[in-house]
Amino acid sequence: MTSENDDMGLAMSSISMFNKSSNTSDSFFSSCWDPIVSQSGSLGGSSMASHYHLVMENQGISGTSHVSHYQSDPSFVELVSKLTGFDGGNLSQMVGPFSLPQCNQVANRRCPPNFTLNTEGGNERGSTNSLRFLDEHRISKEALVGTSPNGKIRKCAPESGSPLRSCKNGDEEPVMDLSSEGCDGPREQARKKPETEQNTGANSRGKQAVKQDKDSSQSEEAPKENYIHVRARRGQATNSHSLAERVRREKISERMRLLQELVPGCNKITGKAVMLDEIINYVQSLQQQVEFLSMKLATVNPEINLDLDRILSKDILHQRSGSAAVLGLGPGSNSPYGFSPSTFPGTISGIPNKNPQFPPLPQTVLENELLNLFQMGFSGSTMDGFGLNGIHRSKQSYIF
Amino acid sequence: MNNPHHMNPRSLKSRFTTRFLRALTKIRAQKPISSSSPTEIFRRYRKIKVAADKSMAYSVRSRKTWSRAMLWKLRSRSHRRRPVKTKFRQSVMKNTKTTTTTGEDGVGFGVEASELRELVPGGEAMDLCNLLDETAHYIKCLTTQVQVMKKIADFYSL
Repeated sequence: MTSENDDMGLAMSSISMFNKSSNTSDSFFSSCWDPIVSQSGSLGGSSMASHYHLVMENQGISGTSHVSHYQSDPSFVELVSKLTGFDGGNLSQMVGPFSLPQCNQVANRRCPPNFTLNTEGGNERGSTNSLRFLDEHRISKEALVGTSPNGKIRKCAPESGSPLRSCKNGDEEPVMDLSSEGCDGPREQARKKPETEQNTGANSRGKQAVKQDKDSSQSEEAPKENYIHVRARRGQATNSHSLAERVRREKISERMRLLQELVPGCNKITGKAVMLDEIINYVQSLQQQVEFLSMKLATVNPEINLDLDRILSKDILHQRSGSAAVLGLGPGSNSPYGFSPSTFPGTISGIPNKNPQFPPLPQTVLENELLNLFQMGFSGSTMDGFGLNGIHRSKQSYIF
Repeated sequence: MNNPHHMNPRSLKSRFTTRFLRALTKIRAQKPISSSSPTEIFRRYRKIKVAADKSMAYSVRSRKTWSRAMLWKLRSRSHRRRPVKTKFRQSVMKNTKTTTTTGEDGVGFGVEASELRELVPGGEAMDLCNLLDETAHYIKCLTTQVQVMKKIADFYSL
């Protein structure tokens, strides 16, 4: 630890701004990161401090094996110190122009020789992962800006630390995953979709690609909200394409579920193709109902004057059970959707009414007129798709 | 007689109802229904249908792609001068920030998705995800439309 402290002494001496705390603390990390904490205000938020705290915690948990990688971090601190002259803006803006290999080079310059091995190992991984690290760093920064869930992030860190330990790739992987796991705390706040690709590209290296996803929501690492941050679940394909695909598929299935609730009678249906067919039928029948009703309104005689329209609008808006009572339906009738199509085909097109509980509505005169009109209209009209056969077919499917 | 709970005056239903009733009275005022010839009635039926679609689309404004597409279609139909298809596609694609996917999205929905695209106005320029969103909203609006029109028709016929 002494050589580390020496290194820390070197690093700290170059950081003239961080004089506020003593450098003689026992642990490597508290001495390193306290100045950052104190500087957090100028750096534009506690988010950065929390991020480094996060990294710290990981180190605290996983022990000294990861110490070597944080040789680069004093250089980070140095870079940060240089950049505090900026207006405390985004860390991403600060970190952006600096790539990790640079940091590693700086660290290598300072590191005593007995740490060169580890740092070189860290260096190669750093260079390969530099871009990803920065991306994730940027992502984590953007995700953490404006939020102060320090407690949340720290809670996430130990939880997610353990599954990450299972990954066999380098030691930097837990760091990167945790930094992105830090995003998960305020997951709802982040927005951009391209970040998903970057995150998935980074995280996929930590997992093994064995088979395609069969277990959709039962894996223990199932993300709670897969909009921004997608992690490859265990036993699933992990290249970025399939992860993006999986996100899409889940979105689509979520929407299908919503549609299932909208369309009546689709609770038992499983299977997207059948569901889509049902949806198509439903939309078609609704559109045809609108046409029916507009035809009906066209034929109705307007004995009623304008005042009644006002009353009508109020009544239409305010009374729902009223009209049902008017039409002679009991409260124990079918769902409103089941009611609606059966009235029209039941009277207009002469389909025998399959639901005997619907009493004949007092509109038979109008319906006859409509029927005549349809028959005349079909001979030479331009009604699109308004055939009786079509009505028969589609309506029958909805008479429960 | 009225319900104890007040209807939200800004809900979709109330917006549609007021607009539609206004349009209906305007249509009724245009011609008395003394002549019940089929052509007259048919013409009025068309007007009422257009009015219903228009009032529904206006109630939703530009918040949804399908309403924008429908409004655009109605406007261009009334003008009837420019080529409809190209400009329609342009405007719709300008409004949607997603790319068109003609075939499958890797999920295998090809046939049904294209059918759905024909049904939902403006559906040609949407990918499957947004198409399903729009379909859900469209279904909701259609059911509102049907409910309101049914009640109007019932009141008129009694």
